[in-house]
Amino acid sequence: MTGEVMIFLVLATIAIFGALVMLNASKVIHMLLALVLTFLSIAGLYVMLSAEFVAVVQVLIYSGAISIMMIFGIMLTKHHHDAKERTYRSSQRGWLVGVAMVLFFGIMYVLIEGVNFGATAPDLHVENTKQIGLSLYSHYVIPFELVSIVLLVAFIGAILLAKREEDTE
Amino acid sequence: MTVHAFLLLAAALFALGLFGALTKRNTVIVLICIELMLNAVNLNLVAFSKFGVNPAITGQIFSLFSITVAAAEAAVGLAILIALYRNKATVQVEDMNEMKG
Amino acid sequence: MTQIAWIIPFFPLMTFLLCFIFQKREWHHLCSRVGIMTTGLALIGSITVLIGQMIFGNSEAVISWLSIGDTVFSIGYIVNPLNALMLVIVSLVSFLVHIYSKGYMAGEERLGTFYAYLGFFTFAMLALVLSPNLLQLYMFWELVGLGSFLLIGFYFHKAEARAAAKKAFLMTRVGDVGLLIGMILVFWQVGSLEFSAIFQAVSGGDMDSGMVTLVALLIFIGAVGKSGQFPLHSWLPDAMEGPTPVSALIHAATMVAAGVYLVATLFPLFEASDTAMLVVAITGAFTAIFAACIAIVQTDIKRVLAYSTVSQLGYMMLALGSAGYVAGVFHLTTHAFFKALLFLAAGSVIHAAHTQLIGEMGGLWKRMKGTGWLFLIGTLAIAGMPLFSGFFSKEEVLLAVWKEEHYVLFTLGLITAFLTAFYMFRLFFLVFMSKKIIPYKRRKKIFESPRVMILPMVVLALLAVGAGYIHTGWFGPFLGEWLASGNEYITLHPHEGAGWLMAVTTLLTFLGIWMAYLMYQKEKLDRNYLSEAFPGVYEAVLNGFFVDVLYQRTVVFATKCLGIVGTWVERYVIQGILHFIEDITILVTKLASKLQNGQVQTYGAMVGVGLVVLLLIGLMQGRFF
Repeated sequence: MTGEVMIFLVLATIAIFGALVMLNASKVIHMLLALVLTFLSIAGLYVMLSAEFVAVVQVLIYSGAISIMMIFGIMLTKHHHDAKERTYRSSQRGWLVGVAMVLFFGIMYVLIEGVNFGATAPDLHVENTKQIGLSLYSHYVIPFELVSIVLLVAFIGAILLAKREEDTE
Repeated sequence: MTVHAFLLLAAALFALGLFGALTKRNTVIVLICIELMLNAVNLNLVAFSKFGVNPAITGQIFSLFSITVAAAEAAVGLAILIALYRNKATVQVEDMNEMKG
Repeated sequence: MTQIAWIIPFFPLMTFLLCFIFQKREWHHLCSRVGIMTTGLALIGSITVLIGQMIFGNSEAVISWLSIGDTVFSIGYIVNPLNALMLVIVSLVSFLVHIYSKGYMAGEERLGTFYAYLGFFTFAMLALVLSPNLLQLYMFWELVGLGSFLLIGFYFHKAEARAAAKKAFLMTRVGDVGLLIGMILVFWQVGSLEFSAIFQAVSGGDMDSGMVTLVALLIFIGAVGKSGQFPLHSWLPDAMEGPTPVSALIHAATMVAAGVYLVATLFPLFEASDTAMLVVAITGAFTAIFAACIAIVQTDIKRVLAYSTVSQLGYMMLALGSAGYVAGVFHLTTHAFFKALLFLAAGSVIHAAHTQLIGEMGGLWKRMKGTGWLFLIGTLAIAGMPLFSGFFSKEEVLLAVWKEEHYVLFTLGLITAFLTAFYMFRLFFLVFMSKKIIPYKRRKKIFESPRVMILPMVVLALLAVGAGYIHTGWFGPFLGEWLASGNEYITLHPHEGAGWLMAVTTLLTFLGIWMAYLMYQKEKLDRNYLSEAFPGVYEAVLNGFFVDVLYQRTVVFATKCLGIVGTWVERYVIQGILHFIEDITILVTKLASKLQNGQVQTYGAMVGVGLVVLLLIGLMQGRFF
């Protein structure tokens, strides 16, 4: 067992543990914090996959921005039902979806077992950010601009949606 | 290390996220579960960029786009949540059944 | 001149439309005027057509109505001596009845409706007579049935009238089914329903003789139903529940003669089959004597006349069945006049006496001289008194039977002639002559009918006397020659004045009158002798030989049983199945609507589970697309 595998196992365990805690925690804020753990471990996995820039973005956007936004969302709404919330175990749908998801994972396992790509990119970690920058501003410049417009529209839309209705009247 | 380990991890995270999205009663948690599913997909993209059929930087670029769109989605989703909460004073998913015919 | 024939039925149709629209009370005086005017126009048109036919001969015009493949159904009119004669009879009697009704129905609440129905019936009857093919004839055949139904049930607040209307409709319908099947067979065999095509097929031998017999018998069943022949006769006496002018028009002069008219029109078809002719003759003879027997004991003035109508229609059928085409049509003509006269006179009596039972009348001669004389003329005509029209036509009928050598039927006819004279004079003596005292109070209230009712009767009385002279052994068989001239299929039998026959019938008539005189006027003979000696027989005859009871116990009972079974099947089997299907549908729907609960997560779960199932199937198949 090499060090690489050990690191992967640790990170993967943390990620799945975070996800399971999120599903089973009783308080909303605990769920969110458990998920931040998952996000961080995924960032670690990105580093393992020679994607340092994406890892940084992951930490910034997910663990940072989106989590903070979700916390704001939680704080701005009331959660009286937290304590009383029935867990998914109690509902038939929970069982149905649970069984389906286990089956789904099983099918995926069978399929992934049969995959063999062979090739491995050797030089992704060399000047990773520069490579991304070159690619983004040469080959993918138009999608890049489009995505920025999407972001702009989404934020304006979010502001409009969240605005109090009294203001418009 | 092979691609299989990463793909299996991504599949497990996706299944957990989907499970949460379909069973959780709190709208915020449902949104978070969707983020988890998007993360699983991103993990796949990055794994393919290293071990794929045509390993290249393109996979990472794609994951960046995906993260951007996920951020936009989270923002809009939360805005809708706030607006709904203002009208119905609840964040429970089962109370949001306006689509019922 | 004959080209205007098609327009004649539309005059009465106009009455129907106008009177139906303006049936409010304030329009009543106009309704009767419109009815009289339009039937008057129809009468003028009919006479024009009759004269035109005499001068210019037959005419026919058809337009194609609908075509199915190569088959073309046409609609149009045909004018030949027979239907020109029928046109005049129908429109004349209808005209007179319209006038009469103005007096008889005065003060009636639904006078507009009455005139509308009368107009409708006249329209249908005239159009029936003009039909150049079986299909058109059948349509108007049903329409006159409808008119009859509506008019019998005119006093629908009376349960008897409702029952009588239903009975008439259903019993004639039994016959109509026979006619319809016959029509379909004709169409199958000939490929056309035009009369001329049918006759050509029959004379050309395109139909084998068995088929001709079958078709003729089926069509005769239709005629039996309409003309009240045995065994479908019992609706006609019940039809007397309708207003009396209606009885005169529909159930004496015109509609019931439609069956005779049908047989006469299709005479070449019947003549081609000896069996069919024999059946027609036997049915006619039996009906004639059967109904005459019943008529002797009836106590209702209109029912006596009704059974007498059945009996006389039997005479016509007997004549037609004995190859006496001219005799049948001749008797139809004279009968239309004297029977309409009798009914109108009876109506006048009922109008005055406010009862229909003979037992409550008597001695009316003094108070109603006019009606009495007219009734006497009608009675003499139907009884076959020499010089009256009935004498000539009846003699013609018997002569035709004699020539055909149906001696048994001839004897039945002679007995019927005697019975006719007897029961008609029984009626006359009991109503007008009997010495029985009517209570003074009631007698005071009996007055002669108004002139508007007397006048039509006078016209009919003149015809009842004079109509016989159009075809006699003394002055010449004008009617016969004319009828034969316009119809190549009719062969005229030479009229040999069988003097002995005249003598015998005259003798029988006088015998009948004399017996009635002794029994009911002088009371020398005990009128109750027979009824007391044979109470069972009397009871049977009084009830029309229990034919109605028989139908009630068999056909009606069976139908009711069938109806009950059908209701049961409908209620428990068919509705049960329907409810079962309904319940299953509701169950499935409720299950499905539970899924449609508006919860996005449920929908998502369905999608997710569905995806997994699809993936599983794909995995098992080893391929995903």
